[in-house]
Amino acid sequence: MLPWLARRRRSLLAALLLACCTVAAGVGLLSVAGWFLTAAFLAGAKLAFDLFAPSALVRGLAMARIALRYAERVTGHGATLDLLADMRTAVFGAIMRLSPAQLAGYRDGDLVARLAGDIDALDTLYLLVIVPALTALALGGGFSLITGAWLPPAGWLVLAAMLVAACVVPYCLARAAGASGRRAQEAASAARAFVHEAVQAHADLAAFAAEPRADARFGDAVRSLANARDSVAAAGSAGQFAQQLIMGGCLAGLLWLGLDAFRAGALDGAVWAGLVLGLLALFEVLGPLMRGAARLGTAAAAGARVSALLHEPPAVADEPEVRALPPHGALQASGLEYSYPGAARPVLAGLDLRVGPGERVGIVGESGCGKSTLLALLMRIHDPSAGAISYGGVPIRLAAQRELHARCTLLSQHSPVFMGTLRSNLLLGDPQADEARLWQALQQARLADFVRSLDHGLDTWVGEAGRLLSVGQARRLCLARAILAPAAVWLLDEPTAGLDEQAQQAFFGDLGRAAAGRTVVLATHARLPAGAVDRVLRLEGGRLHSC
Amino acid sequence: MAEPDGGTQAAAGARPAARWLAALARLPRAAMAWAVAAPLLAGLLLLPQAWWLARVLGGSVAGSGPAAAGPWIAAIGGMVALRAAIAWSGERAASRAAETIKSWLRRKLFAAMLSRGPQWTRQKASGELSSLVIEQVEALDGYFSRYLPGAIAAVFLPLAFGLVLLPVDWIVALIALLSAPLIPVFMALVGWGAEAASRRHQLAMARLSGFFADRVRGAQTLKLLGRAESETAAVGAASADLSRKTMAVLRIAFLSSAVLEFFAALGVAGVALYVGLGYLGYLHLRSEALGLPLGLFCLLMAPEIYNPLRQFAANYHDRAAARAAVDCLAAVFGALPDPRRRRAPAAGPAASAAQSLPEHEAARVTCEQAPRPEAFQPEALSTGASLRAAAGTTGAPYAAGGSSAESPSGNEQAAPRPLAVEVRGACLQVPGRAQPVLCDLSWSLAPGASLALMGHSGAGKTTLLEALAGLRPLDTGAILLDGRGLDIWPADELRRAVTLIGQRPFVLPGSVADNLRVADPAATAEDLLGALDAACAGEFVRALPQGMDTQLGLQGYGLSGGQLQRLALARLFLTRPGLILLDEPTASLDPHSRDRVMDNVLRFAAGRTLIVATHDPEVSARLDGSLVLPQGGGQA
Repeated sequence: MLPWLARRRRSLLAALLLACCTVAAGVGLLSVAGWFLTAAFLAGAKLAFDLFAPSALVRGLAMARIALRYAERVTGHGATLDLLADMRTAVFGAIMRLSPAQLAGYRDGDLVARLAGDIDALDTLYLLVIVPALTALALGGGFSLITGAWLPPAGWLVLAAMLVAACVVPYCLARAAGASGRRAQEAASAARAFVHEAVQAHADLAAFAAEPRADARFGDAVRSLANARDSVAAAGSAGQFAQQLIMGGCLAGLLWLGLDAFRAGALDGAVWAGLVLGLLALFEVLGPLMRGAARLGTAAAAGARVSALLHEPPAVADEPEVRALPPHGALQASGLEYSYPGAARPVLAGLDLRVGPGERVGIVGESGCGKSTLLALLMRIHDPSAGAISYGGVPIRLAAQRELHARCTLLSQHSPVFMGTLRSNLLLGDPQADEARLWQALQQARLADFVRSLDHGLDTWVGEAGRLLSVGQARRLCLARAILAPAAVWLLDEPTAGLDEQAQQAFFGDLGRAAAGRTVVLATHARLPAGAVDRVLRLEGGRLHSC
Repeated sequence: MAEPDGGTQAAAGARPAARWLAALARLPRAAMAWAVAAPLLAGLLLLPQAWWLARVLGGSVAGSGPAAAGPWIAAIGGMVALRAAIAWSGERAASRAAETIKSWLRRKLFAAMLSRGPQWTRQKASGELSSLVIEQVEALDGYFSRYLPGAIAAVFLPLAFGLVLLPVDWIVALIALLSAPLIPVFMALVGWGAEAASRRHQLAMARLSGFFADRVRGAQTLKLLGRAESETAAVGAASADLSRKTMAVLRIAFLSSAVLEFFAALGVAGVALYVGLGYLGYLHLRSEALGLPLGLFCLLMAPEIYNPLRQFAANYHDRAAARAAVDCLAAVFGALPDPRRRRAPAAGPAASAAQSLPEHEAARVTCEQAPRPEAFQPEALSTGASLRAAAGTTGAPYAAGGSSAESPSGNEQAAPRPLAVEVRGACLQVPGRAQPVLCDLSWSLAPGASLALMGHSGAGKTTLLEALAGLRPLDTGAILLDGRGLDIWPADELRRAVTLIGQRPFVLPGSVADNLRVADPAATAEDLLGALDAACAGEFVRALPQGMDTQLGLQGYGLSGGQLQRLALARLFLTRPGLILLDEPTASLDPHSRDRVMDNVLRFAAGRTLIVATHDPEVSARLDGSLVLPQGGGQA
């Protein structure tokens, strides 16, 4: 959290300073007013009284307070919001660094919750905790000094009361509400992920009449969320209660001590009145602090969840010194071994493969035999447990991932369609592609006729995850996107899944021309027509065999 | 997709939103009543507290105070404590009331979402919907826990304080009574802007959530396409845009509280100067001089007159936020749950939907349970029979009663009966496409027969299967199962009778067993293993680290596409339908696995009606007949 605060320190400090001035103006206004009123009564006759200074002070403080308050709020909230936007960008960047295996450890609704809800919960920290606490301490210190100048015991009393009210009570509150705050944050995230999954699995839920069960489970999630939030609110209310009690005690003490001093002639009556009224104004600053402290548990939990994500080291990282990849070259894998965590036997066991520049290789094999895993290793989505992969003679472990991804493009089985239009999805493959290039890719992916039949053509909205397209159409859109990427190597995993036989054969028949000299590694179950690829390899028992 | 499809509802204005919020507030009646009463009571008790304080302080200084000040000081402390206790219990009640309302609403919205059917959710972004149900509903919190209690206090307390001050000093009372009513006028002006800005902001927030969800889901793909940096920048831009929008809301909201600060400060300064100048003899507006205790009392009460209003102003954007949230909810959900019809949650989603959707939705749901139209039924039966004869799908294994396909578990329901299927002039439009996906399609299938549904991808195979399962209403035409129109099948009976295994099986986070039990929550481990074996998934599931208890991560990470598909297919063998609908069950299987899977499917389908959408001629060859859907939805 600290580095983030440091980045925005100027506006944050400005907000803090403005907050102090605002409270000072408020306390000053009531003090001066009380003092002026009493002093005027005691003076009785106008001759003995300098009227100008106090009345100007009262008016000036009143105006200053309005302006300061507005400026403080705008600055404080503006700075906080900027801070949250910074964090959101950083967290998204962190998500992008993680490997699929790492991402699979999070529910995707949960990742969204971290990006949205958790980061929002952090705004409590500065606006409701740091600023009021510092303001209360600064103003409380100043006020107790002034009080102490006339009435030393009362000065100590005010100082002690402010320390308890601004530090001890919030600390206890934060501890008391910490657990429920964490629960609230987790419950909110769980409920959110639950909705998320219900939306995505809606067709399955409906088809199996599982809605009542989902409904009941959601009810439980909502109930625990409500309980946790209510506990947080309870702590906040308890804090307000404690603050009022401290204020009452402090007020009674100031009255009692002041009365003794006044009767003893040690304290001016007008000053006494000014101090009492100022004290009432001073305690106003503590209200937000109590609410903030009660929510500190939530903020801490949110902070921990965000920072866990920020600090998770990526499973696949670039070496400090990267080597440049040649623009073209052979793709070579030797002795590749890989097993999924916890799996009984490895998927790949000593696999060797060499694909020359411009060569097209088909890989077949039973489903689950490791074809997709091989393509993922070639793309360096994971690192193999043994063996090495090189491109143009350079080990891909030593290359920058960015450069490797520019050389090779992968159409995976899980490639998603993104929310947006057909065009925006295609442009992800190549932002510079012109209209003709887009249509060419659509043609190669056998999707052009369909797009031409749409009202809005390329600008048709495809819905989230392409849910407004058929599975086959979504698949072909991903294929077109992969084809658009200006890469020298195409790694295609079941590119024709969802195509009918005729279209499938047409795609394969056209593959040689479409690839235009690119290297192609193609994993498929489909029958490959003659000339589609240069050779076909069978993946079995973790190794490749020619067939 | 964030395009509000019920925009007219939102545009209807603030009045329905306000009425609906007021009706919601009546859900937890007792708690809400105390939440509103407590601040009033605590506020009124301020009067004696301030008077005692003024008397001790002013009286002592002026020499007219009580001789023994001790009890008075103790009384002041006690009154502060009593008021704090009342405020505390009021806050507790408000919080409980708000939580009750939010929980109720969340459950209703969730049920409404489920009851709309997958076609409805498919057009929304899941991140957006979850943001609506969690965050937007949370935006109502401040309305019930702060705004409403504060609003009542803000109306009555300044008035009460003004009236008390009237006999003390009419000018001070006049300052209070005149400036106070001006405040709501200013705030209404400011409030309009705040509400519009708030609505814009919340829409942006919901869209941003949808955007995040979408990009997070495809994070890996974006990275592989080299878009990591540009997408991170896009997220940064979207967040910065959101904070700009939020600031626009806040600037206005703070302006409304600045107006109040202005009056409050003016009131304090005015009272201090007026009373002080009176003491000094500059002002002769009253016949007799005001005593110091009364003067101090006026000064003490001056900020308090404005305090409830300041509190109110601070909470005013809670109201704007709540109303904007209501608009967002209404824009997406259309009709909102009706709090006036509160009953114990009904058993099924259909029943709860009927109570939660007061308007057109309720009509649709209840007509499902309506008695069948007399005139329609016999005709449906007879044409069903005649078309069946004409369909030409002969040689269907017609195992009446289906007792041969009896599974050992779960005999509480009647044995499945193969269903006759008839489609009459079906037309189906999909948003965004010029031509209907299906147009005037008519065919029928005898009970127990099997059919391959073929055609180009995008020809409407999936759409037709979903329509047959009752998940997608037809635009025109009718689907009859067993001679009964789909619209008059009771929903739960239909679900039991028809099993659809979709093409995009969604893997829920949880174990393999959890995922299978979606189909039958009561299935034993043996049932599950049997089903997995039937789907040729037993082998690889047993090889997983914890077998069926292995947790599946995001989108089934670690399993290949074909394995996931077989896992989804295993669910079929846990159901006992009369009609089986399979969407590309073998699409990512190798030929060997495909043949084994089809063997088991056909064995299971004996005595049931089976429809398989497929591209694979080998699969289609094993079924009784085939139907090729033409591209562009022409005549079948």
